[in-house]
Amino acid sequence: MRISQIRFNQKMANSLEKFSSQGGEKIANYINAGGKFAIAPLVIMYNPFTKESKENKKWAAIKQPVEAVITIAAQIASLGLLFKGIDKLAAKGKIKFKLVEEAKKTGVFPESVINAVKGDKTKAVDELNKVCLDVFKDRIGTLLTIALYVPILAISNRVFPKVADLLVKDNDND
Amino acid sequence: MTNLITPITNSKIFNNHLKRVINDDAFAAKTIVVCSVLKDVFAYSVRYETTMNNKKIPEKRRPFVAAMDLASGVVTAIAQISVGFAIASPKVQNKLWNAIFKDAQFKNIAMAKKSFATILALIGSGVITERILVPLLATPLAAMVEKKFFKKDGSAHSNPQLNQNTHKSKKSMNIDTFIFTSDVKY
Repeated sequence: MRISQIRFNQKMANSLEKFSSQGGEKIANYINAGGKFAIAPLVIMYNPFTKESKENKKWAAIKQPVEAVITIAAQIASLGLLFKGIDKLAAKGKIKFKLVEEAKKTGVFPESVINAVKGDKTKAVDELNKVCLDVFKDRIGTLLTIALYVPILAISNRVFPKVADLLVKDNDND
Repeated sequence: MTNLITPITNSKIFNNHLKRVINDDAFAAKTIVVCSVLKDVFAYSVRYETTMNNKKIPEKRRPFVAAMDLASGVVTAIAQISVGFAIASPKVQNKLWNAIFKDAQFKNIAMAKKSFATILALIGSGVITERILVPLLATPLAAMVEKKFFKKDGSAHSNPQLNQNTHKSKKSMNIDTFIFTSDVKY
């Protein structure tokens, strides 16, 4: 029992490490889309405080996964392109962080960076640069995600009535 | 492109932000929660604008539906930040981390702890609060607002436009209106 618990914890730990390599912005988008896809329709359908007709609830519920799929597809595609572009610029040495330049001069690195490279200061510059680049990509990614909401909402407002029409036999649309 | 990026990557504000994100897991998680809330606030603002300009919604109903969009955006933002920040706090994080990963081995434990804080704060604010608590609370809240501000003189003179936009009307509203008002809660 104890061993299986440790194995489970280790599997969770491995999944966490794998997931965390995606970066904060992508993780936020996955969690948001997952909640919208799986949780929101259930809450709409089974909200005890709502006295709507079943058809109305179904329509509103169908909107959530449709919007979630369109949103996450647009976000993965556009963030992928953006991050690839930023990585290319960084590889050419065109993105330099003041924090990294200062650390190169002083030889002083944040503790978490030193821990990540197990005390090997020759690798610390690259690690610090990578961490800074990830944070930079997350913040730019947030701006792009915000900008994408206008076309995403426009597309989902066009697509979801068609999907809902296919899935819901409407007897209450007057 | 580089001309746009360099002023940011060399700015004092951004580099101070980098330092805090690298050194403080709770701050990193809180930042992601704030970014997530910003996206929601923007989405609610877009919905407000599109509702106000949507001629499919009867003109007399539009201001209320739009006001509910805006009010729900504010309530959702405050609730998400409160829950997200509470979960991201080091006390909560340490307890949860020890409960789940006490015996686990990590290649980079610092990175894993940072991600754990971020993921939990996002699940708490973006899934449990935004998708479950706020929608469940929104309906009785709307009924309370209706009772307080629109039904002062009894049910005989209640505001008919509001009745069609809350869940207290005897007859279900039509699908178009319901879909627009449903955006308020989701």
